[in-house]
Amino acid sequence: MADALVEFDSVVKRFGDFTAVETMNFTIDEGEFIAIMGPSGCGKTTTLRMLAGLEAPSEGEIRMQGRVMNNVPPHERDTPMVWQSLALFPFLNARENVEFGLEMRGVDVAIRKKKALEWLDRLEIGEFAERDINSLSGGQKQRVALARSLVTEPKILLLDEPLSALDANLVIRMQSMLTRLQRELGITFVYVTHSQSEAFAMADRVVIMSRGHIAQIGMPKDIYRAPENRFVAEFVGRNNIISGTVTSTSSKVVTIDGNLGQFEVALAGDHQPIVGDVASFVIAADLVHLSTTKPKATNNIECSLISEEFIGSVVTLFLETPDGSEFKVQIQERELSDMDLKHMGRVFVSWESDRAHFLGAG
Amino acid sequence: MSVSKQPAKTPSSDSKSARQRQKSDLFQQVLRLPIVIWQSLFFIAPLFFLVAMSFFIVRNYRMTEAFEMKNWLKMMSRDYFWDSYGLTIGLATLATLVVMIVAFPAAYTLAFRVSENTRRWAIFLLIIPFFTSYLVRIFSWYVILAESGVINAMLGYIGLGPYIMLNTKFGTIVGYMTLTLPLVIILQTFSLANIDRRLVEAAYNLGCRPWRTIIRVVLPLAKTGFIIAAVFCFILSFGDFVSPYYLGGSKPPTLPILIVDTVKSGQQWPRAAVVAVVMMVTLFIVAFGGIAAAYRRRNA
Repeated sequence: MADALVEFDSVVKRFGDFTAVETMNFTIDEGEFIAIMGPSGCGKTTTLRMLAGLEAPSEGEIRMQGRVMNNVPPHERDTPMVWQSLALFPFLNARENVEFGLEMRGVDVAIRKKKALEWLDRLEIGEFAERDINSLSGGQKQRVALARSLVTEPKILLLDEPLSALDANLVIRMQSMLTRLQRELGITFVYVTHSQSEAFAMADRVVIMSRGHIAQIGMPKDIYRAPENRFVAEFVGRNNIISGTVTSTSSKVVTIDGNLGQFEVALAGDHQPIVGDVASFVIAADLVHLSTTKPKATNNIECSLISEEFIGSVVTLFLETPDGSEFKVQIQERELSDMDLKHMGRVFVSWESDRAHFLGAG
Repeated sequence: MSVSKQPAKTPSSDSKSARQRQKSDLFQQVLRLPIVIWQSLFFIAPLFFLVAMSFFIVRNYRMTEAFEMKNWLKMMSRDYFWDSYGLTIGLATLATLVVMIVAFPAAYTLAFRVSENTRRWAIFLLIIPFFTSYLVRIFSWYVILAESGVINAMLGYIGLGPYIMLNTKFGTIVGYMTLTLPLVIILQTFSLANIDRRLVEAAYNLGCRPWRTIIRVVLPLAKTGFIIAAVFCFILSFGDFVSPYYLGGSKPPTLPILIVDTVKSGQQWPRAAVVAVVMMVTLFIVAFGGIAAAYRRRNA
């Protein structure tokens, strides 16, 4: 497999009394597309800035290709970044912006002009090369910023929420362009975002951060289907979290008794629940069956319908359980129209034991 | 009377809003009035009078209305006028260069290296010199620059000097700097503080060394503010009478001193007006040129 390009070794970053990043350990492989995701203030941007050398770790080491980078100033690194604000130089035109990094490396005028134009062409904005930055559209500026970062052919590209200022249609197009570029160039992308759809659509691996800690690292599918803790389960997707007391346990199944009844949850991984402990599990909104009559399945809850939300072919239903908590169900609009549900009407949710995901104690 | 209300209402409300618009237009006109009156009474009218005066003649020590080119031809043909003009432009340009360079490290530190609170205090301290009369500040330089003054005393300890600093061009420049340095630091600080820090970081990120970043990114971003600061510095120095007179020893005279001398010698107000008009035109050219350069946009 690929080698580790970047290693975070017990990295801590404090700003005065505030700890932005706490004991972070993880590695980024060569050629990997990694997304760092979390709510605002979780330390994801600080992590990226430490990689660029714009912040120095308070403790621990950041290594790139085995070399300790802690005291290497930003201008001696080859870690170009695409800023959320793009940070294009307004006093230079598109081509001159792209040339900037080459100029700093002392590349010959003719060669750097040629390379800049090549990159602008590659990103399909060659015709705007001599245009003023402020006369370009958001998407065009975005491409200039990308070209400016990639023209020096770095091993790693840092992206700080680069698509957050674009409208939805453009985001999709830029996403596919980014993934295509990353595959073609084979370089490492570190992509910071608060958007789950961006992270899951593009990244090989996703790092979920919460309050300076890494909450989970994994492939998007694993994070989506097998959140390791309550934070990830709540942050990602539309999950229902149910808690209760462990009443019995075997190697394959654990039984949890809570306010809403008794549920069986299939065990995966190395969880070893103890009878009597408080534990919780996750059932994703899209893995739930809906029926108007009481189902045979062991795991079921009787709810009443509160509201629904259409997003095209999929509908999210917001139900209320007997103890007043919310329960979300996602089903196809086509299925729903066959069922004839009424507002505040009675409806049963049910699921198979192996659809539920055990979260562990707490 | 069964007049339907609906159709009647629309035109009346339309005319009402039109009247309202007229009213607010009138209000804005009234707001503009004081500045228009002030400018025409105390700036445009005197300016016209000054230009007109430069064509008057003096008979028996009395100014007489006329329209003759005599004053202009006389002043323009005199070497001392052109020497003085060159000297004034030279000194003001040198002062501007020195002030812009000396101010920069201070402004850079205040804009980038200190907290916002410290910056506020520093700007307050930079305003304090303006609380005392400029003349008093110039006279206080006597103590420092004189042949037996503070600097020469200190240099004497290490066996240097004494150097003559009063009544020299050096003295004039020191005076100009006293007048303009605090203002230029303030203007530079503001324009540097407004720079988007992310652009500076982006430059570092792309491999630009800190020194090069200042030249390649910081200065271009601060261009407008810096040109305005330089223009201010030049205008204030160019028109200053006090420094070249008291610290520069008035010889050779700068244009403001030439004006005073011309008036004193034989009530030559019209010739003094010629000098004043030349100064005004020069400053207009510098100011417009500077502002045009400051706001020049790149061709798309």
